Amino acid sequence: MSAPLSRLALRVAQILALPVFLIVLWWYLSRANTSLFVPTPGTIAGVFGEVWTPERLRTDALPSVLRLLAGFSLAGVLGIALGVLIGSSPRLRAFSEPVLEFFRAIPPPVLVPVLILFAGIDSTMKVAVIISGCIWPILLNTVEGVRAVDPVLADTCRSYGIRGGTRLRTLVLRSASPQIMAGLRQALSIAIILMVISEMFAASSGLGFTIVQFQRGFAIPEMWTGIVLLGLLGFGLAMVFGVVERRVLSWYLGLRRAARGSN
Amino acid sequence: MRRPLLALLSAAALLATTAACGGSSSDSGKGGTDKVTAGVIPIVDVAPIYLGKQQGFFSERGIDLTLQTGSGGAASVPGVVSGQYQFAFGNVTSLLVARDKNLPLKILTNGVSSIGVAGKDFGAVVVKGNSPITSAEDLVGKKVSVNNLQNIGDTTVRASVRKAGGDPSKVGFVELPFPDMPAALQNNRVDAAWVVEPFLTQSISQGARPVAWNFVDAAPNLTVATYFTSERMLKEKPDLVKRFTEAMNESLAYADAHPDEVRKILGTYTKIPAEVIADMTLPKYPTEVNRASVQTLADLAQQDGLVKNKPDVGALLSELG
Repeated sequence: MSAPLSRLALRVAQILALPVFLIVLWWYLSRANTSLFVPTPGTIAGVFGEVWTPERLRTDALPSVLRLLAGFSLAGVLGIALGVLIGSSPRLRAFSEPVLEFFRAIPPPVLVPVLILFAGIDSTMKVAVIISGCIWPILLNTVEGVRAVDPVLADTCRSYGIRGGTRLRTLVLRSASPQIMAGLRQALSIAIILMVISEMFAASSGLGFTIVQFQRGFAIPEMWTGIVLLGLLGFGLAMVFGVVERRVLSWYLGLRRAARGSN
Repeated sequence: MRRPLLALLSAAALLATTAACGGSSSDSGKGGTDKVTAGVIPIVDVAPIYLGKQQGFFSERGIDLTLQTGSGGAASVPGVVSGQYQFAFGNVTSLLVARDKNLPLKILTNGVSSIGVAGKDFGAVVVKGNSPITSAEDLVGKKVSVNNLQNIGDTTVRASVRKAGGDPSKVGFVELPFPDMPAALQNNRVDAAWVVEPFLTQSISQGARPVAWNFVDAAPNLTVATYFTSERMLKEKPDLVKRFTEAMNESLAYADAHPDEVRKILGTYTKIPAEVIADMTLPKYPTEVNRASVQTLADLAQQDGLVKNKPDVGALLSELG
């Protein structure tokens, strides 16, 4: 009865130990510091509630999150679709690989002034910046995943006459899904970074915008609360992603567990 | 240290500065030089300090000046507060906001001023040639780009709109870097852009039309930016601060009297094309801070909610300014 409970308590303690230690360390190092730029955790926590009112969350955090989700999902759809296409054809792959590597190497922030010219300064530009950065891990991972489809399974499909949509769904995407999910996970953290960066240019709302405004107005504790909120957002999204990943890849994880068990 | 003499001199300078800290503030700099770092922005406004350095106004007062470039007025404030920079250049509104947050800053001397005449100033709100906007009042309900929000650009543009009889709270501001503004205007991304030189000349040459002269509308002969230091610096090295201020004033006067040399030095630390340098309007570099205009900027900052408390302009200005 008490065994699972104590296991749970141990798990919670494991999760919280390091954050608590870091906060205490921060508090200890900043307690005697009179510098405006290094507020104590207490000051930041006190200001947090004042700054992030429901009103501000609606006007600044919500647009950011929506742009992030729009950019991430569009990059996901585009990246997987193009990845399947390129991955299924060795000729197309050889043809496009150098170009893909070239575009992948361009840091998206330097594209912002160019994107302003084409996409304006509204949300379109910001979503475009997010897509331009986080499509690459998805695309390239999908290509690799599709390329590595088990030839025995592919032959089996062929002999059973499975083709078209069914083949794509049951064979190609399924067997590429571990790589695709790894690409999506990478893309998610890139998307958060680019969400912030895109809002530092030509913005009038958003989390990145608010943090920069606080910094310029020397509202330093307020600036820190924005950074903390960004961290919490990233943490929350990673948790949600983890849940989705476990569902999508349950067959794969089960397979791996079974393979490990049989050895 | 390449030469023993130099080493000797800097040792003397070190002694001199320690002596200054000890309390004798009379002529500590005479024997050697003080190493000084000043934070500036690589724009037209700071030409006098580059010119003064070249002319030796600083070295003849025992100041070995290093100019460190940053991205904006707000960026140099932490540098001065932390002591990384002894002096820096920053616009008045940034300093008022910093002072409101209890950052111990003091204005020493003027940096750059508006010319004070509509049609001839170095900053303006411009629109596309075929835009229906013809006056500051027409900016109501429109999208105007400024380089920094909650700063001198939007507060003075609001002053223009207010003066013209419009409701300044209904002007939409968006942040864009100055270099991106002419293109954004051409592509109708914004309805109007607040630009300063050299981008004013550049956008006018592309067919843009000025509709409001915000510095002129805000206050007569507005002091736009100043050179400042920290209260600690003022207390610990009053003599060095005094010599820097004198050198700065000499540089400002020299720059104001020699516009051709200002244009020449611009080519050394900015990337402005030579033909634009030849055509553009230079700002004024008076040595006196226009206190009345600082008060006006303080009132505007309070009116627009940039500062929480009523700014104490007297506390920001040092006796030297």
